[in-house]
Amino acid sequence: MSSVAAEPPHEQQAPGGKRIMSPAPTDAAEYKPPDGGWGWMVVVGAHISIGFAYSTPKALSIFFKDIQEDLGASYSEIAWISSIMLAVMYAGGPVSSVLVKRFGSRPIVIVGGLMCGVAMVTASFGRSIVYLYLSIGIIGGCGLCFNLNASLTIISKYFLTKRPLANGLAMAGSPVFLCFLAPLNQFLLGDFGWRGSLLILGGMMLNCCVAGALMRPVTPPRNSSAAAAQKIMEKTTQHNTSKKGRCLSNARKFLDLSFFKDRGFIIYLIGNTLFIFGAYAPIVFLSAYAVSQGVEEYSAAYLLSIMGFVDMFVRPGTGLIANSKWIRPRIQYFFGFAMIFNGACHLLCPMMKSYAFLVGYAVFFGVGFGMVFALIFECLMDLMGNQRFPSAVGLVTIIECFPMLLGPPTAGLLVDIFQDYKYLFFMCGAVIMSGGLFLIIMNIYHYHMLEKEKAEHNGAPSQDAENQDGVSLSEAQRESTEPETTQTNGDPQDPSPDDTEPDVTDHF
Amino acid sequence: MENMPASWKLLLMLVLTASCGRVHAETLDPSPKPPASAPALSANMRKVAVLQSQNSTQNVQLLNPLNLSLECSLTADHDKLPNISAFWSQDGREIPDSRLSATLEDQQYHVRRLFYIAGEEMLGRYSCVFENGVRADFILATPPFGEVRDKPVVSYGGDFVVLPCKMEEAKPKPLSWRWFRGNKTHKEQISEQPQRFQIHSEERKSKLKVINLTHEDAGVYYCGAVYAIGTTMNPVELKVITYQEPLKPFIGILIEVVLLVAVIFLCEKRRSKKNTSKGNEENPDQNNINLQEEEKGAEEGSSTRQRRV
Repeated sequence: MSSVAAEPPHEQQAPGGKRIMSPAPTDAAEYKPPDGGWGWMVVVGAHISIGFAYSTPKALSIFFKDIQEDLGASYSEIAWISSIMLAVMYAGGPVSSVLVKRFGSRPIVIVGGLMCGVAMVTASFGRSIVYLYLSIGIIGGCGLCFNLNASLTIISKYFLTKRPLANGLAMAGSPVFLCFLAPLNQFLLGDFGWRGSLLILGGMMLNCCVAGALMRPVTPPRNSSAAAAQKIMEKTTQHNTSKKGRCLSNARKFLDLSFFKDRGFIIYLIGNTLFIFGAYAPIVFLSAYAVSQGVEEYSAAYLLSIMGFVDMFVRPGTGLIANSKWIRPRIQYFFGFAMIFNGACHLLCPMMKSYAFLVGYAVFFGVGFGMVFALIFECLMDLMGNQRFPSAVGLVTIIECFPMLLGPPTAGLLVDIFQDYKYLFFMCGAVIMSGGLFLIIMNIYHYHMLEKEKAEHNGAPSQDAENQDGVSLSEAQRESTEPETTQTNGDPQDPSPDDTEPDVTDHF
Repeated sequence: MENMPASWKLLLMLVLTASCGRVHAETLDPSPKPPASAPALSANMRKVAVLQSQNSTQNVQLLNPLNLSLECSLTADHDKLPNISAFWSQDGREIPDSRLSATLEDQQYHVRRLFYIAGEEMLGRYSCVFENGVRADFILATPPFGEVRDKPVVSYGGDFVVLPCKMEEAKPKPLSWRWFRGNKTHKEQISEQPQRFQIHSEERKSKLKVINLTHEDAGVYYCGAVYAIGTTMNPVELKVITYQEPLKPFIGILIEVVLLVAVIFLCEKRRSKKNTSKGNEENPDQNNINLQEEEKGAEEGSSTRQRRV
C-alpha cells in the first residue's frame, strides 16, 4: 500500500544544503530519470524545438520591410506581428502545461510543429495585415508555445543529475537557430520574395514534428502492486470530488495559484520579472546605439551577430559548469550572479565609445545573456521538481509576458525623452542588477528559513500533509517508501551516494 | 584682376563701396572670405579644393541651374616656381581655351573658373589639372539616393507588387517623381494605366504598383526624382516567378520531415517489440502484462501514468 509522501512544497526545493540523501530505492514508483541514453536524442529534439520557438519571432523581422510595402502598412503595424507572436507564445503557457500533463510531450510538440507550419504557409497567401496577425501571430504563437513548454517538460523528465547540462544544450538552440535562420531568410527573400520565403519557412518549421517524434515518453519501471494501488487511488479521488469540486480543480489546473504560497517560487518570479524587463531592450537598441556613436551600419549589425555567436557556446558551457559538484547545490546563487554580471555589462556600456570597446561589450553581453538563459529554466526545475514544473513554467511564462512586452517600449520612451541612449542602458542594467541582488539576498533568507523549518519539522514526530490540495496530492502520491525525515527534496537530487558530502549541509 | 594680391582686391572693393555710398551686399560675392571671385560675374555657388600633393574629389549637389565657381588651390612644394600651368576638363576631355598659368601667391597657386550649369547635360565630372599632375575633381550631380536596393524585388505571376522609392529627410525635396523602365541607355517613361500601373507619389516618397504581373514585367525599373536641373535615377530590379518555384523546396522539406518521423517511429516500434519479447522470456508474471500495457501506452503518447486508467 502506498504511503502518503507528504512533503510540504517549500521543502521540496532545498538543494542548497539538504544533501542528506535518501537511499532512493529504484523499485519505487517514483522513477529515476534515465539521465542519458535516449535522453540525448531528446535533448536534440528539444534543441530544435526551443530553437525555433525563440528565434522565429526575431528572424521574421527580415521580411517586414517587404511585407510593409506590399500590404501598405506602417512600421508599427508590422512590428505588431512579432509582438503578438511573442505574447501568445508566453501567454499560452498555462494551456500548454495542462495539455502536456494530460497527453505528454510528444503529441504536443508534433501538434505545435504542425500549427507553426500551417501558420506560415497560410501567411504566405496573406492579403491584409490582420490576416498576418491571425496566422503568424496567433496560430504561429500557439504552435511555438506548445513547442517551448513541452520541450522543457520532457527534459525535466529525462534528466536529473545531468539536467543543467541538458538544459544548457537545449537552450543553446535559440542562438544557433538565430544564427542559421537570419542569413537563410535573407537568401530566401532574394530568391523567392517574402511569400515564397514564408512558405519555405513553414516547411522548415515542420521539422519540429521530427523533434517531437524524438521525444519518446519515459517509461518508468514499475512493480504491479504500486501501479494497481495508484490506479485505485486515482479512481477514488475522482469519484469523491463533487461536480463543483471537479470544476474548481479543473480551473485550478490552468492556473495553479497554490504556487503563490511557495516562497521560493515567488522569489524566482520577482527576480525573473526584473530580468526580463531589462533583458531585451539592449538587444533591440544596440545597433542604433552603435550607429549613434559613429559606427557604420553594417558593422553595427555585426555586433548582434557577435553576441549571438558567443551566446551559442556560453549556454552549454554554463550548463556544464552548473552541473559541477560545487555549483549544483548553489545553482540559485549562480543564477543570481549571472544576472548581476549581465546588469553590470549594461551599466558599463555607455562608457564604450569606440568600436573595439563595443565589440568587447557585445562579447560580455553574450556571455551574461547566455549564462542567465541557460539557467533560467533549470532553476525553476530545481525549485519545483519534476511534477510541478509543467504548471509552474506555464504560470511563469504568462506572468513574464508583461515585462517582456513592456520592456523595449519603455526603453524606447527613455531614448525619446532624453535623446540619449545611455539612460536606456543605465535603466536596464540597474533593473537586471537589482533582480540579481534580490535573488541572492532572498535566497539566503529563504534557505535560512528552510533550515529553521526543517529543524522544527524534525522535532515534531507526526508527518503531516501540509501542502494538500487536490492536484498536488495526487502528484505527491508517488509511492515513496522513503522515510520522510530524510525526504527533503521532491526529486532525488543526486542518487549516487558518492556525491553526498558531510560539509554540504551548510549551504555556504 | 584675378591674380591681384588679396590686399589690393580688398582696397579696391572698399574704394568702390565708399564711392557708391552704400554697401550693395548682393553685388559682392556671398561667400565671406577672400580671395573673393570677381565681383562682376556673380556666382551662386563656390566650391574650393585645397590640394597638396594628392588628388581630391568632391561631390557637389545641385538642384537648380546656376553659376558655379570652381577653385583649386595648390600648395607650392619646395621648388616654388613663380608660375605653374593648369587646365580644366569636363568628363575627361580638356575644355578648350581653359589652359592658364597660375602665379604663386601666399605659398599657393590658385585657379578658378566660372561655369554656367544650365541643365542635366552639363552635369558631370569637372577637374582642374595642374602641370605636375595633381588634380581636383568636382562631381556635379543631382542629390543621390541614400539606400540603393541591391536585391531584386520578387513577386508572383498574377499578383501585384509595390516598388518603393524614398528620398531621405536630409536631402532636398524633389519637384516631382517619374518612373521609367528599361536599361542604362534607353529608358521609357511609365505612364499611369489603370489596369497595369499605378503611381502614388508624395513629397519624399513614390510608389509604383504593378498589377497583374506577367513574366514580361520583369526587369529593371527606375524611379526618378525630378529636380530643376535634372533627374536622379534609382534602379530597382523586379523578378517575376511562378508559384511552383518556392513549392519545390517546400515539398522537398515536407518529404524529408515525413521520412524522418516515419524512421523514428519505426525504430521505436522495433525496439519495443524486442523489449516485450525479452520481457516475455524473463518475467512470465503480472509485471509482464503491465510492461506491455505501458509500452503500448508509451506509443500512444501518454507519459503521465497516473492519469491513465
